Amino acid sequence: MRIEKHPILTFEKGRKVKFTYNGEELEGFEGEPIAAALHAAGVKVLGHSSVHKRPRGFYCAIGNCSSCLMTVDGKPNVRVCIEKLADGMKVETQQGKGDLI
Amino acid sequence: MKKTAEIVIIGGGVSGLATAYFLAKMGMKDIVVLEKGYIASGSTGRCGAGIRQQWGTEMNCRMAINACDFYEKGNEILEYDDDIEFKQGGYLIIATTEKEHEQFKKNVALQQSLGIPVKHLTPQEALEVVPFLNISDVLSATYCKKDGHLNPFKVCDAFAKACRKLGVEINTYTKVEDIVVENGRIKEVVTDKGNIATNKVMNAAGGYSQVIAKMVGIDLPVYSERHNILVTEPVEPFLGPMVMAFQKNLYIQQVPHGSVIMGKGDPNEPRDFTIKSSWHFLDEMARIACDTLPPLRGLRMVRQWAGLYNMSPDCQPVLGSVDEVEGFYMAIGFSGHGFMMGPTTGMVIAEHILGQESELTKLLIGMLHLSRFEKGELILEPSVV
Repeated sequence: MRIEKHPILTFEKGRKVKFTYNGEELEGFEGEPIAAALHAAGVKVLGHSSVHKRPRGFYCAIGNCSSCLMTVDGKPNVRVCIEKLADGMKVETQQGKGDLI
Repeated sequence: MKKTAEIVIIGGGVSGLATAYFLAKMGMKDIVVLEKGYIASGSTGRCGAGIRQQWGTEMNCRMAINACDFYEKGNEILEYDDDIEFKQGGYLIIATTEKEHEQFKKNVALQQSLGIPVKHLTPQEALEVVPFLNISDVLSATYCKKDGHLNPFKVCDAFAKACRKLGVEINTYTKVEDIVVENGRIKEVVTDKGNIATNKVMNAAGGYSQVIAKMVGIDLPVYSERHNILVTEPVEPFLGPMVMAFQKNLYIQQVPHGSVIMGKGDPNEPRDFTIKSSWHFLDEMARIACDTLPPLRGLRMVRQWAGLYNMSPDCQPVLGSVDEVEGFYMAIGFSGHGFMMGPTTGMVIAEHILGQESELTKLLIGMLHLSRFEKGELILEPSVV
């Protein structure tokens, strides 16, 4: 299932682009939230809770809840529910709270 | 709430609770602590919570060494079922002016003579401690690996639990409204929950110490001043020591949870009890922090808070009894250093009240008496933010 409409955010669905998820090549549409592209590709687990390491997925979808923090192009704690997908992006599951350096 | 007490301690922060603990441990009964909010709701819970032994006067070095020794063994001494989170990641203090650089030479010589494991580093050596430090304006730095920081809420929780085990009564949400003095002696404490007859009162009211002193007719030469703190989102550990600069007027540290917290003073703060957060601080703090430690640019801030420094004329505390009122004791005016000195404060005031003064207590009570301001015997400590 691909999220096409959002009750709050607006985004343009652009051309088809390639990106990687933990090294695996996936396709999505430029400009859609990274989380939408991951969801369409069947990726439901986006991160893990900090203490008990329980799986965390798509939740608030407006950049508030910290459930979808991932490392994007080496930058930690990116909220993939509001960050727009771009060609060649490297999206990775974050280990722990993310490494700043 | 008790109707009579041997002593009433006003303030449920680290100074008041540590004093209650040491008094109880030394055998005093009927100790009552009054706190107008929750435990650590005032300056203690709002502070940066660092502890450094790198001071410029022997007095402060010794106070801090004593406190650091206590905190190192704090969980065991207080038989705490949790953790006070003492992270000894060190303090890296940077000099950005020639004057500071010269002063640091003297400080390090003094600190080393007292057994503090401190080193004076070149800018290049400072990079070995914090590899991403911007050294463009750094002349030198001093580093003591045994300095660090704690969780102020856990510290107070540990003291409060130890106090209760020893029979101390701690009353939160209880506000002192007046203190009755008769013939120069403490008689009674009036609170919004009832009165307590007592002959001893300790003023450990932090940012409100001058309000409490006024109740016994003492005009303290102190004022309270807001200090803001900014906190970022948490990330994995990347910053070991607290980075501090006197001239640049800042401190930055990463707490065990992963957040980075930072603060700076502002000479233009109004002298009142305001603890609202300010945009002005956010703007200045973020700018100077990112300039000092450039990787911080990649972090989002989460929130700000503020608390009160209780400022004395020489930025040093007032400890002990007063000439004006018998039975009135104070541990106030810490000017931003009350938390780190907490265990020493507790020990000193307890020993002083019970007349069992150790050499350190004698020294501190002698130097930090309220009358020093009138006599003009100010303590010149060069290393304050």
